Amino acid sequence: MDDAFFVQMALSAAAVGLLVALAAWAKIAKPIGPLDEHKARALLAQEFPTRTVEAVWIASDGCGALAKSNGLALVICRVGDGFALRQIPWPQAVAATFKNGKLSIDLRDVAAPTAVIALPSWPPENLKGDLAA
Amino acid sequence: MMKGFDPVTYAVPFFVLAVILEILLARFRKADANYEVKDTATSLSMGLVSQAAGVITAGLVSASMLWVYQHRLFTVPAMAIWAWAALFLLEDLTYYVFHRLSHERRVWWAAHVNHHTSQHYNLSTALRQTWTGGVAGTWALWLPLAFLGFSPAMILIQKGVSLIYQYWVHTEAIRRFPKWFEAVFNTPSHHRVHHARNPVYLDRNYAGILIIWDRMFGTFQPELDEEPCRYGVVHQLATFNLLRVAFHEWIGIAQDIGRSPRHLLGWLFGPPGWTPDGSRDTSRTLKERAGVPVHGYARPGSFLAPQADASEA
Repeated sequence: MDDAFFVQMALSAAAVGLLVALAAWAKIAKPIGPLDEHKARALLAQEFPTRTVEAVWIASDGCGALAKSNGLALVICRVGDGFALRQIPWPQAVAATFKNGKLSIDLRDVAAPTAVIALPSWPPENLKGDLAA
Repeated sequence: MMKGFDPVTYAVPFFVLAVILEILLARFRKADANYEVKDTATSLSMGLVSQAAGVITAGLVSASMLWVYQHRLFTVPAMAIWAWAALFLLEDLTYYVFHRLSHERRVWWAAHVNHHTSQHYNLSTALRQTWTGGVAGTWALWLPLAFLGFSPAMILIQKGVSLIYQYWVHTEAIRRFPKWFEAVFNTPSHHRVHHARNPVYLDRNYAGILIIWDRMFGTFQPELDEEPCRYGVVHQLATFNLLRVAFHEWIGIAQDIGRSPRHLLGWLFGPPGWTPDGSRDTSRTLKERAGVPVHGYARPGSFLAPQADASEA
């Protein structure tokens, strides 16, 4: 590798910094507001069209949600101005760590390691009877 | 290392200027484009590191190309117009094969997937390039061109021209070109389809410069006004961590092989999503479930009406 290569890399790195700063200044991310139940259900229907959603818990900051579908937990987490969704076994969600109003779910996925969802309590108080199964 | 005229090096300043222009046009509402800060930083950083990663395997690639060229069948004159015309077509066909393999076989998808991990489609997405392309060995697909007698320098130039062409199609700012142009060339509209995760758009429009290869080989899908593109991968990434973006599919392959080594070939060369028990989705199962054509394409205005054969168009 010669000097020209390092000069090129340094200039490219500077250009990356400039462009990221410009993108931050422009404020042109996709306009997505906080997640509500309607939006969450629409996302779930799009991503898991064959699943029936029994209950949905929306994060208090609108940045995520968790739904129950038979023996599965359907997880929505916000990524930038978009969302990523995963399905995991329900017991895995129930056993997730809940601390300081944040549910931290290990998704066991390299591409989606953890979902952090702000909830008032966990497991939820309305999780009774068949829903708890 | 092979020294020669690489048009990409000279195009980099124009890449930067084009991103600036797209951001400014979007900022002042003169064009459709969305840029999210972390997503943009991820795309551009992936591109930056990919430049360095390419250097690691460049020696092997150059040596292989030169060795094959020394054992060539013919000597193609670099100053002949017909030679460049032939190279244009052959290199573009090679790119189509490379790109199709990179989507339809998991080991090569592992190298290519990071280019598709953005939920955005803008000029910065074009720069979200692979770190592991050299390791994946797909560069070997270009060796037959050297064996035919095209010099490595000619191949390098034509590959550069193709890469530069493919840059500008990564935009939502341009809707559609006149029909004759859309019929022959890869365009922003065609390539939006390629980056979309809607079932009807999966594994379509592999073209580099000419869309004719997709039309010929049954992988063409026009953009449908009634089905707006949703960008990204089937299982969207929930992280901007560069290492996870670059290596997640490789790690997934390693985990699968570790769990079931006797299915090694399936894990490597099956389509992305392949499992021995069919428990995960492939592009095919997603299309079947959505009721969209597995072969052929959905025509504008008849989204759910499968067409038998793309060559009928």
